Amino acid sequence: MREMNQIRLGIGPAAFRIASAWRQPLEQLSGLYQDYPAPTDGIVDFTVRLEPEKPWRRYIRPSVHIGGDFWLPDAAPLPLAQGLLAAEMGMNLQMALGWRRHLLLHASSVEKDGKALIMTGLSGSGKSTLSAMLAERGWRFMGDEFALLDLDTGNILPFPRLISLKNQAIGAMRQVAAADRFGPEMKGTPKGDIRHLVPPKPAIERMDESASPALLLFPRFGHEPALRAMGQSEIFVRLTQASTNYVALGKAGFHALTRFVDRVPTKAMDYQSTDQAEELIESLWNQLP
Amino acid sequence: MIQKYRAAPTDDLIWHALDSMTLLFHRPSGITHMLADPAPAILEIMADATLSADEIASRLAAEFDIDSGGDTENIVHARLAELSGLGLVERIPV
Amino acid sequence: MMRDARSLLQALREPGSVEALGNDQWPELISIARAESLIGTLAHRLKDVTVPDRVRAILQDAAEAHDLARQQALWEADCARRALADYPGKIVLMKGTAYVAADLAAGVGRSIGDLDIMVAREDLSVVEAALLDAGWEWVKPDPYDDRYYRDYMHELPPLIHRERDRMIDVHHTTLPLTARPTPDARAILDSAIALDNGLRVMAPTDMVLHSIAHLFADGDLAGGLRNLWDINLLVRQFAETDEEFWTDLNVRAKTHGLIKETQRALRLAARLYDTPVYRFSAGHTQFSDYLYARRLLARDGYGRETRKWTRFAFYVRSHWLRMPPLMLARHLWTKWRKGGKSLE
Repeated sequence: MREMNQIRLGIGPAAFRIASAWRQPLEQLSGLYQDYPAPTDGIVDFTVRLEPEKPWRRYIRPSVHIGGDFWLPDAAPLPLAQGLLAAEMGMNLQMALGWRRHLLLHASSVEKDGKALIMTGLSGSGKSTLSAMLAERGWRFMGDEFALLDLDTGNILPFPRLISLKNQAIGAMRQVAAADRFGPEMKGTPKGDIRHLVPPKPAIERMDESASPALLLFPRFGHEPALRAMGQSEIFVRLTQASTNYVALGKAGFHALTRFVDRVPTKAMDYQSTDQAEELIESLWNQLP
Repeated sequence: MIQKYRAAPTDDLIWHALDSMTLLFHRPSGITHMLADPAPAILEIMADATLSADEIASRLAAEFDIDSGGDTENIVHARLAELSGLGLVERIPV
Repeated sequence: MMRDARSLLQALREPGSVEALGNDQWPELISIARAESLIGTLAHRLKDVTVPDRVRAILQDAAEAHDLARQQALWEADCARRALADYPGKIVLMKGTAYVAADLAAGVGRSIGDLDIMVAREDLSVVEAALLDAGWEWVKPDPYDDRYYRDYMHELPPLIHRERDRMIDVHHTTLPLTARPTPDARAILDSAIALDNGLRVMAPTDMVLHSIAHLFADGDLAGGLRNLWDINLLVRQFAETDEEFWTDLNVRAKTHGLIKETQRALRLAARLYDTPVYRFSAGHTQFSDYLYARRLLARDGYGRETRKWTRFAFYVRSHWLRMPPLMLARHLWTKWRKGGKSLE
């Protein structure tokens, strides 16, 4: 069997080995992740494999099957041009199915003054774009996909992988972020057009630094700006749905999540623009104890 | 023959009150249940004892100062059936 | 780069040997162990060995994941027990759930998937009705698959619980009805051993023989290293505690028509895991043992299955074992026509 090419990446507390039958996705990854520290001892938590679906698919209409230590039986392959996306999806999959050292919340997070703002919601809520935008406006970016809730301290740990921008968000971020921070444009992926963005330097330099959760928002894009109070029961249920490993963590997950719901002020937020969202967030942030 | 019931051992249950509901983490299954009143009260009253539905209903009525009779028995029967389905209450063969 | 799963066997046999592993080799060993569903077992075996910090965290995760899986498996068995409370027949737990319920060494760290239970064949419809009544539902709506199961397999089509999302497989024997060895299901039920909660597990020799039948009859020896590890631990534990074990195993293997399979499994266990086996029970070494061992070890340091041709040969072979040729042709044809997956 053919050797694969491989690289290692450290993102927050997790370390990955990405093995690929093709060089291209790894070269793109190495470029975009060049400022991230490599796992110090070379030992990784997870292996992701990018391999041809069938042997001849290495050359003919190459299609990338996402495999690795943890995998889903029905993950559809992607064209080689979307190999970078495949690698990112592969890493997400390892975290979602295999990570047990924190409670994983499918959420974006940013930090200011040692306190974390966590945003969660369905895709299309704008949580990823908001975190990317706030990161250009004085907040430290912690992650756009997973917020890691520490089971002992209750703090949020960063998982600042590349920011995955979709559709209109790509154009919006081009206005504010330098061109050399963008990855290749991938059109017509299963999630629409996608372009990856390297997080600002402080996000990478401080990726081991946790923050105390201070505000949880459920943003909803495209509605008149408004803030709405939410009941604890609704918050709890929606967070269990937003967590990939709540059930897998058993009692530890229960304690971590109930503590989170007890302590963290929470609002549903409707907005139509980043400026509106920023205004609403600042108003809430200034009232925090 | 009167059907008796026993709740899951109290040591297996971790409770957490939210604003409108009560969370119950059941250790053996690893399942989190979200219970509305009066299910938590029923489990609390049953504690580790083996009781019939009528006994539970009268204790519940005493606890909450409700007239016994009325619909209390019906409610207790319905909740016991649900809790049995979840494995939180077991029917004890008499 | 590790080219086969030998390093995993070495680590399981001699835990201390991993202290010589380099940092580049650890991720490979972990990928192999995960792919072979032996990471929980490895975690348990290495618990007193010095390993790098990140490896310790990974093993700790695996051990905790196993603890939860074990607890959930026991709970799922208890759910079935309650659903079948009015069923007077014997309910025999199988495979992983049985090992943990009976507190056997083979249960420690073992991955456990669906709940497998065995009941008397004539009671299948009663048991099925009781489970459907208690919230289980059919997984496969496909009538071909359904008929295939009912006509030829050794189990009901799988059921899944609509709230807990967990599967149960109800067997009435240990091998498909079309397979050439025909285990004596009645004898298995007759000698099953009751646990405190009224559920049962197979008697030691039946448990070993079921594990052996499972190793050869299921799939293309996929997951074989895990199955063989089960056999290794069961045999060690039973032989240590009962001096009649080897004699009983022989007698029982005859009853179930599994003499050849038993010999082969014991030779493979001795070869790969150093299992101390009674030579008379294991028979003579054969050249094909080498092919079986190659197949079982076909896993590289990226966690990929290797040696596709060896695997292909075993796939056809395993279907051959389970189904008479004509039926095999019909089965494959139906799969192809439906646009299902091809062999590889």
